[in-house]
Amino acid sequence: MKFRHILINALVTSCLAVGAANSQEASTLVVAVPSDPRGLEPGTNRAWPIGSEIILNVFDTLVAWTPPEFSELEGRLAESWTISDDGKTFNFVLRDGVMFHDGTPFDAASVKFSFERTMELNAYVKATLGLIESIDVNSPTELTITLSRPYPAFMSILAQPQSAIVSPSAVAEHGEDFTNNPVGTGPFKFRDYQADTRVVLDANPDYFRGPPGLSRLIYSIIPEASTRRLELENGGIDVIQQAGQLAAVPLEEMAAFAENPDIQILESPSQIIRQLEFNNSHPDSPFNDVRVRRAVAHAIDYDGLLAGIFGGTASRVYGPLTSNSWAFNPKIAEMAPSYDPEKAKALLAEAGVNPSDWNLKLYSFQGSLWGALCTFVQANLADVGIDVEIAQTEFPTYRALHTSGEHKIAMDGRQPWYNDPDAHITIGYYSGLADSAMTFRMPEDKELDDMVLAAQGEADMDKRRELYFEIQEQLVSRVPGAYLFSPKLIVFARSNVDGLVVNSAPPLNEYWSVTKN
Amino acid sequence: MFDFLVRRLLALIPVLFVVLVIVFSLVRFIPGDPAITLLGPGATESQVAALREQLNLDAPLLQQFLEYLTGLLQGDMGQSLKSGKPVADEILARLPATLEISVLAVLIAIVIGIPIGVLSATRPNSLFDHLVRVTSLVGVSIPAFLLALLLQLVFATWLGLLPVSGRMSAYLFVEPVTGFALVDAWLSGETGAVRSVLAHLVLPTSVLAAFLAATLGRFVRTTMLEVMTEDYIRTARAKGMTWNTVIYGHALQNSLLPAITVVGLKFAEMLGGAILTETIFAWPGIGRFMFEAIRNRDYPVIQGTTLVFALLFMLTSVIVDIIHAMLDPRVRSKIR
Repeated sequence: MKFRHILINALVTSCLAVGAANSQEASTLVVAVPSDPRGLEPGTNRAWPIGSEIILNVFDTLVAWTPPEFSELEGRLAESWTISDDGKTFNFVLRDGVMFHDGTPFDAASVKFSFERTMELNAYVKATLGLIESIDVNSPTELTITLSRPYPAFMSILAQPQSAIVSPSAVAEHGEDFTNNPVGTGPFKFRDYQADTRVVLDANPDYFRGPPGLSRLIYSIIPEASTRRLELENGGIDVIQQAGQLAAVPLEEMAAFAENPDIQILESPSQIIRQLEFNNSHPDSPFNDVRVRRAVAHAIDYDGLLAGIFGGTASRVYGPLTSNSWAFNPKIAEMAPSYDPEKAKALLAEAGVNPSDWNLKLYSFQGSLWGALCTFVQANLADVGIDVEIAQTEFPTYRALHTSGEHKIAMDGRQPWYNDPDAHITIGYYSGLADSAMTFRMPEDKELDDMVLAAQGEADMDKRRELYFEIQEQLVSRVPGAYLFSPKLIVFARSNVDGLVVNSAPPLNEYWSVTKN
Repeated sequence: MFDFLVRRLLALIPVLFVVLVIVFSLVRFIPGDPAITLLGPGATESQVAALREQLNLDAPLLQQFLEYLTGLLQGDMGQSLKSGKPVADEILARLPATLEISVLAVLIAIVIGIPIGVLSATRPNSLFDHLVRVTSLVGVSIPAFLLALLLQLVFATWLGLLPVSGRMSAYLFVEPVTGFALVDAWLSGETGAVRSVLAHLVLPTSVLAAFLAATLGRFVRTTMLEVMTEDYIRTARAKGMTWNTVIYGHALQNSLLPAITVVGLKFAEMLGGAILTETIFAWPGIGRFMFEAIRNRDYPVIQGTTLVFALLFMLTSVIVDIIHAMLDPRVRSKIR
């Protein structure tokens, strides 16, 4: 009797569960990501793509870039803001009536609490949020932030996951375990995390911009690219997100998805730049002669590279900023060296060099696409008489080699997270950073360095743009590298997924507006 | 027997210590700094330095080792540099997943491998024997990732019978009680969840079991063929014992002893070596976890997982010895 009872019970509950699961499936979106998130809270976030995107869906920032252009900021938790003429004081009026997921109200004190907490916990934000001198709470909805020096990219920093606002009462309750129990004001509430398996977020029906179009968002952790592809084709997952790095999209995968009517390919231009980079501070390098650098830049078949290796998944880049940056100088497109092997040979002859004794190693990141890129460039260089040996190196070793300046020529790139030219220009070309990060290792040059720092701190946006225009022209004329391409950000989704916008800087997507039909 | 066990278990301690010293120093010889890997390409030196300090990577090596050892003696395996969570918790969260497929794979391999080995040995050079030899050769030689991809393509994509990857449908929720998906699903009383877990288990366990079943089949066949030529088999037959009694009562029992060692070793290997299978099937096990940790230079995790592997390996060999002693009177008398 008892056994029969259990059996019937099990059958009934399983039928109910399956029924519930089916209706649930219709409004649940499953996003495949390649690895476990690193931390789910802003305080300790160090711009890791997977955790960061979850943060932006669970928490809100004060401001965010407006899709689809991402050229203007819109208020999120901030309703409006003003910036003082000296660029140091930021006054915010905050949204009233917003609640955290734990039911406590959002206010100016929670903004102050969040920023101060992140500054204390996170060495990563030292150069950005670290510029904050004081945060004054004027009223529950008014706040003043004062910086120690003008930093116009600060608003862009406020749109970053590290600047998201946390619930002070949840932090008090969970302490160090807050990363396992993140509580924000965002469109989704954290529900569950299973190591190496999935992160589950449930819709926040009280979200201040309106409830999200999905009832549940699941990040499913699938490390292997071929498995993600089969899962998407079989409908086991709804979205495959690329990590935004070059390792992302094999061409045959693009081709297979393009022909599949059940799958849509969403793409957006990025601000990522990949370049063949010279060590511009090497004591004994043939590339110390600008004619040799120019020859290399003329030797590369840029259009052939885009068509042959990237098949439309990347676009041309002409200089230190991508053409979708607000500070892009269109003159650069004309100034940039074009593919001209004869000119390259003539320049080498003019410089009086003999490339056959150079014994060059072309260092690069690991991965098959980096390999294909290196092989393409190697063939181009061989056409003008420059032989290079390819050395694909594991990242930590590669970085050590790069920062110590042992290389003469290397493949490199930068993926800016905040939407500001500062993210490319200062780290890439300021000579003071040559030994401390993966940069172009520019030699000390007071004129250029001063201009870079001036542009970083200029509060007047028109003047700032002019400064960046000038910097781009200066840089392109010095040929610190051959600018190769800018990969697009690509997302594969089942065709019944609507409303997904691919964000570019930071390359993290929001799922509030997404629905599943 | 008790003395034997105590002696064997005590002997594990110095071995584990040596493993620890080797792993602790080896991981630090791999070029590359965890702080650099954790921060990624955009980081500046000051950010790297700050993180190094935060992670206590600046301290002298000996001091780091002694601190680690002291912690270990108190049951603290340190914290993952990547997640900041205790390594022991991270390992415990993933160990059941690995045990689940390894144990099932071993069971399947035994159920398949031993009978085909016996049948093959008792019908040498028959069509069945040839088939078994060719199939098991394929099973031993085919790389795990290739077999995994083939099975995914055939059973998930073409036939649509089984799921591609994972432990359970992403849409289902089961309270994690034991960490073993099958047990947790059963405890939840939801047959849908049990069905889903079973369906998800088929492909990864088949991949793991294929290699072991093939190895075991070939091994049992060879040892059986050897045993079958022994004098006592002929004597038994001459005494008028039935064929089945001779095969299953005498020959099989004797040829199984070495097979148990093979199963034990392969099982121990499986616990640490299922990296490819776990990666392809998105199986949240400990092999994949260790692989990720090596890539990230997550020192405490590499040390912790290696220690656990070493421990599991040695425990398995102790268990194999015990089983040997139970089955073989000669071994039993030596232990006494």
